[in-house]
Formats: sequence, structure tokens, C-alpha cells
Amino acid sequence: MAKQVISKRNSKRSRKRKHGFKRSKGDIAFNILNYTFFIVFTLICIFPFYYLLINTISDNNLVRTGQINFYPVGIHLNNYKALINVSNLGTSVLVSVGRTVLGTSTMVAASAFVGYLVTKKNMWGRKYIYRFLIITMYFNAGLIPWYLNMSMLGLTNNFWAYVIPGIVAPFNIILVKTFIESIPAELEESAFVDGAGYFTIFRKIIWPLSKPILATIAIFGAVGHWNSFTDSMILMSGKPELYTLQYRLYIYLNSTSNLSALMGSGGGTISQSVMEAALNMRTIRLTVAMVTIVPILLVYPFMQRYFEKGIMLGAVKG
Amino acid sequence: MEKIGQAKDTNKLLNISRILAIMILIALVLPSINPIRISSLVGKDSALLTMSVSYPSLKEGFIRALNRDWVQESTLILMYISSVLIVLGILIITVGCLMTLGERRLKKLGAKLMLAGPAVGLPGLLMILPAFNRISQTSNPGRVQPDFPLGFYIFLGLFVANFVFGLINTIRLPKPTEDDHYEIEAKYQLLIMILPFVILTFMFAYLPLWGWRYAFFDYKPGLGLSMENFSGFKWFTYLFKNPATRHDIVRVLKNTLAMSGIGIATSWLPMVFAIFLAELRASRVSRLVQTFTTIPNFISWVLVYTFAFALFSTEGFVNSVLTNMGLISSSTNYLMSSENIWLKMWAWGTWKGLGWSAIIYIAGISGIDQQLYEAATIDGAGRFRKMWNITVPGLIPTFSVLLLLSIAGILSNGMDQYFVFNNSANKDTIEVLDLYVYNLGLGSGGSGNIPLATVVGMFKSVISVTLLFGANRISKWVRGETIV
Repeated sequence: MAKQVISKRNSKRSRKRKHGFKRSKGDIAFNILNYTFFIVFTLICIFPFYYLLINTISDNNLVRTGQINFYPVGIHLNNYKALINVSNLGTSVLVSVGRTVLGTSTMVAASAFVGYLVTKKNMWGRKYIYRFLIITMYFNAGLIPWYLNMSMLGLTNNFWAYVIPGIVAPFNIILVKTFIESIPAELEESAFVDGAGYFTIFRKIIWPLSKPILATIAIFGAVGHWNSFTDSMILMSGKPELYTLQYRLYIYLNSTSNLSALMGSGGGTISQSVMEAALNMRTIRLTVAMVTIVPILLVYPFMQRYFEKGIMLGAVKG
Repeated sequence: MEKIGQAKDTNKLLNISRILAIMILIALVLPSINPIRISSLVGKDSALLTMSVSYPSLKEGFIRALNRDWVQESTLILMYISSVLIVLGILIITVGCLMTLGERRLKKLGAKLMLAGPAVGLPGLLMILPAFNRISQTSNPGRVQPDFPLGFYIFLGLFVANFVFGLINTIRLPKPTEDDHYEIEAKYQLLIMILPFVILTFMFAYLPLWGWRYAFFDYKPGLGLSMENFSGFKWFTYLFKNPATRHDIVRVLKNTLAMSGIGIATSWLPMVFAIFLAELRASRVSRLVQTFTTIPNFISWVLVYTFAFALFSTEGFVNSVLTNMGLISSSTNYLMSSENIWLKMWAWGTWKGLGWSAIIYIAGISGIDQQLYEAATIDGAGRFRKMWNITVPGLIPTFSVLLLLSIAGILSNGMDQYFVFNNSANKDTIEVLDLYVYNLGLGSGGSGNIPLATVVGMFKSVISVTLLFGANRISKWVRGETIV
């Protein structure tokens, strides 16, 4: 106990010395400037989020005239409740959640499996197959041929267009392959000697051991799926019920129609007139945006520790 | 000796059979030889595979014809059953083809399946004949336009060839003995396991290249490609000869290069950000800064635009604050202006990406040997000297790789950002190459110029790949290491 206290005091003193000595005026000025810059930039980064939040929970009449700038006034949650009545919003949420879950899980499973297979030296034509998969990172045919191809394959106005093309992700395959190569080969060899097949080894050994990298690609994949909207715009033009939430938000932002056109009639608990008195296009747009952001903010704390891993591994090439 | 010769022959025959299987598999995804296109009402852009998977995609073009009773629904169902049987047959052939990679017992079974496949597919194919008969008795031949498809003969030929070689193989392959099990060598086992993913890659990354052929045709959606609308290099010369297009291209390239250029000229910012962030002595503050400056990277451009809308539109934050302070009397919508749009786009990009791009440098700084700093301190080096002489040189390799990559990607700004910020006031100065291709080909509600947009996209793709390999070459030459 006493020892601990002493060491604590020692470390305190040493820290003090480290910072205490040789603090010139220029040094202090630099520190102040540096702190100021970073604090201001951080505020600029988070202020829009905050501004959006206070504008969705404040008195709507003040919001409409732009009087809510720094703090909320008259807090209420009616805007969020009213979203139930916004037409097409529910299906868009379902589509977005569906594509994120299905797209990410198939992509992760495929990346893990292919990443494992390409480490197997005895595969027939391994070198060429690997190159065939990876080289697709460096070229693409362009938007129009891509669109015509999707339409030829029947993937326009079709939910699976969100999922199937993303299953094979070459960059993620590289990440998984690099990771699996760092797993001691003995583990696999001993299982092989015990008579395990490739599937069993993959399921029982490779999959559990590569969970960290799989979590990384899962998170980036999920964010990508959640955020994408151009595929919705280009491929689903004939089927608005398949629009993703992001594209729906874009449409709301650009629509010139009035509120009652946006809100589906009936079904809701709030009567039409009350609703219109309480809402306006601006608040609805901002509230939908808030709903779109929330999932990202919820997973963000979990994502953070995978950042560095992901971005550093990105520097490794196949 | 004779036995070895025979084994070689069998192998040769098996290979022919395999090639035939691959050919019929490819035929399945080519819309131009779709055997069930017995009327012009069958969609010209869909392959047989698409139609066999979804009946609606077959029915699509016939809705009017069905309502007017030009065509009976039973004919369509006949066509659908036919396409399903053909695809089923080809599937069996494919499975059989993969099985022939196995050991004796599996090989024999594979050959049998390659015989069974055509036996299922051929009746399906022949069902097209009665369907064609019925459709040619239509009451409105002008609209339905019965036309016997060339694809029928191609599929017929392929099926028959597959059948013949399947039969030969089934007879010639040695009978498996009692000891033979269903076995397959590891190298082929692995190949079969990865094959589905190779096929997916082919379908979504290589097959679009086949779409470059649209650049050589006067293509209009729904009409398909034929020798009648083949136009050679018309669209390539059009791109340079037509004054309006040429003017557009110059404008768009100017936008693209300017905005990429600003990005490249300021690409040192993340590095400086990371270096100064490392100088924050309070680690809790620097963690917080890092956390909050990275968030914007994870929201979509639509949401960034929502922020811009909330802050800079007529009722937005900036207008109301300025009005409250009495600085302006009437609100303006800052988003509806083309003033300094390049810089504004750069600013939004920086807001979104600066904290994120700094992470790689932050990791780089933590990888620098601490002894270097200690030694420099003992030698009396000050803070800035250490930053300039130790940290910066330590980060330059990373910086140069990223710089080369961003130069290679100079034409690819993506379209998301520019698409969401695009409006009637700024559309001339915001349109980058990617957005231009979209607007040209798909933007105007189905009446776009697809061949011309394909040509522009082709130029972009080729130049981008060339730049990338150029950058790679430079990197190899200067640093002795490749980047891709």
C-alpha cells in the first residue's frame, strides 16, 4: 500500500518535471493556439449534429422561423411520433435495415471463406484465381455498362440488387487473407491430420480465430450499406417501395410538395389538423435525418477501436 | 501403353465435354441469343437466366397483349416452363461437369449427369416450337411480331453436342470398382468451393465490360442491339466533333481537375493535423478530438447535405444568427449559388474527411521510435525542430503513397457529393466527370444518350487505369516498392 503511494507520488513528480521545465513563452502560446484550433474544429464537427437534434425537439413554430440556434426551447417529441404517418418511411427503414443485415452478413461470410480458400496453396490454379478476384479493385467498366449489366441480369427494381453484387469484396478478401496467414499453420495442420475437411477447419478453427478482422470488415460494410443511396436511385426507379432510407431522405429534402401530400392519410393516432398545426416540412426533414443518423451514432463507439486496425491493414497489399 | 493412350483420349473427350458445358453456361446469360424470344414483346435486354428466375420479367412486355387477347396466358406459361427446363438442364450439366473433376466413381456419375442434363433441357427447348406456333396465330401480328429466334438453333446445337459427348464419355469411362468411393482430389475440391465466388466476380466485375459494346451502337432502351443500329465509331468522333458536347467535356474536365487539384494541393492537411494533435499534451483531450472529428466520415453525403440545408438555407442557422445580430436584413439561400462552389465542395469534403484521414498518420506517429525523440532532446532540439526533423520525415513515405494514389484517382471524384449539392444555380460548375456520365446517360428519365455516356465512361476507365499503373511505376522507380 505504502509502496503504491510512493510510486504514485514519484510518478506525479516526474510528470510534473516533464512538463514543468523549459516552458518558454513561445511554447505556451503555441499550446494555446493548438488547443484552440482543435477545440474549435471539434465543435465545428459536432455542431451540425447538435443543431439537428435541438431543432427536432423544440417548439415547431420557433423552428420554422429559424429561432432555435443554440439551445432547445419547449422540448417535445411530437415530431418523432408523427413520423409514423410519413408515407413510405416505414418501408424505407425496412429496406435499409434489410439490406444492411443481409448484405453485411453475406459479405462477411464470403470474405472469410474466400480469404481462407486463397491461402490454400494446393488449390488448382490458385494464383490465377486470386488475381482474377483481386484485380477487379483497380478497374471498373463505368456507370452505364454497370447499369446495363444489372438490368440484363434482372437486378433492377429487385431487392437483391442491394445484396448480391456486394458479396465478393476483393479488398476485404485481402484483409482476411492477410489475417489468416498470421494464424499459426500448426493449428490447421493438426486438425487436418485428425481428419477434418476444409469446411470443418474453416468453421471450427479459422472462423473463430479471425473474429477481430471479421468484426472490422463487418462494421465498414454495414456503414457502407446503410449510407449508400445512388444504387437505390439508379436501379430502383420503377419501384419506390424499394428505396433506401437515405434516398428517401434525399427525396424529402428536394420535394416541393406540402406537408399533407407527404403524410399518408389515416392510420395515425393524431388527427390531420392537429398534426399540421404542429409540424412543418422543415422539422419533418430534420427529424427523418436524425432517425437516419442514430444507427451510425449507436454503433460508433463499438466501431472506434477497429479504426486503426482497419486502416493500417489497408496499407497491406495482396 | 495402349491403356495410357486410351486414358489420354478419354481425357481429351472429357475436356471437350467440359468446354461445351462452359459454352452453354455462358449462352445462358447472353440476352442476344435468348431462345425464347419468339416475339418482339419478349424483353430484349434480359437473358434466359433472368426470365427463368422470374415469371414477371417474362410477362412484363406482354401485359398489353394479354389484355387485348392477342396472346393467351397459357402460351406464356408454356414459354416459362420451357425456360425453366432449359435452365434446369444446364444446371445439371454444370454439376456433372464439376463432378468429372473427381475420382473414378464421381467421374462416372458426372458423365451420366452431363448426359441427363440435355435430356431434361432438350424437351424444354422443343416446347418453344408449339409456343411459337401459337404465337404466330396471333390476331395482331403487327404488334406481337412473331420471329423465330436464332438462339433456338444455338441452344439446340449445344444441347445435342453436350448429349453426344456425354454419351461417349459415359460409355468410355471405366467402370468404378467396389473400392472406389465418391472422392475428389483436394486441389479440385478447393477449386469447386471457390467457383461460386469466381462466377459472382465474373458477373459483376467482368461482365459489365461486355457492356462497352453499347458505345458502338445507336442504342435506345428496350430496342436491343442489332446490325441495323451498329454505328461504328460514330459516338467517338461525335464526342470531339459536336461543339456542344466538346464544350461540355471541357467544362466538366475543368471542374473535375480543379476540385481534385484543390484536394491534392491540400492533401498535406491530415498529416499536419495528426502532427499537431500529437502535440496536445492532455491525452484525454486528444482522444476526444479524435473521436468527434472522425464521426462525420461515417455519415452519408445525403446527411451532409441535410446539415448544409439546416445551416445554410433560407431559414437556416447562418441566416437567422446574422439576422438576429442585425447584420443582414433579408435571408439568402447560400446553397442556391455557384459562388466559390469548388472551395465549398472542398470545405465539405475536408469537414467530412479530415479527422478520418489523419488516423493513418496518427498511427504512423505512434510507430516512430521514441529513442529518436529522446536523443534529439538531449542534443537540445526544441519542439518544432523535433516535429520537422523526426516526425515529418517519418510520415513522408505514407504521405507519398497516398499522394500518388490521389493523383491516380484524379478523374474519379465519385458522384455522391456533387449529386446531392447539385442544383439549378450551380450545375455548371459542380458537374464532375462521374456526375456528367450519370446525367448524360441516366439522368434525364430514360431519354439519356447511353452510347455517348458509355464512350465517356470508357475514356475515364482507361485513363484511370493508365494513371494508376503509371503511379505504380513511379513508386517502384523512386521507392523500390509498388503501391498496388
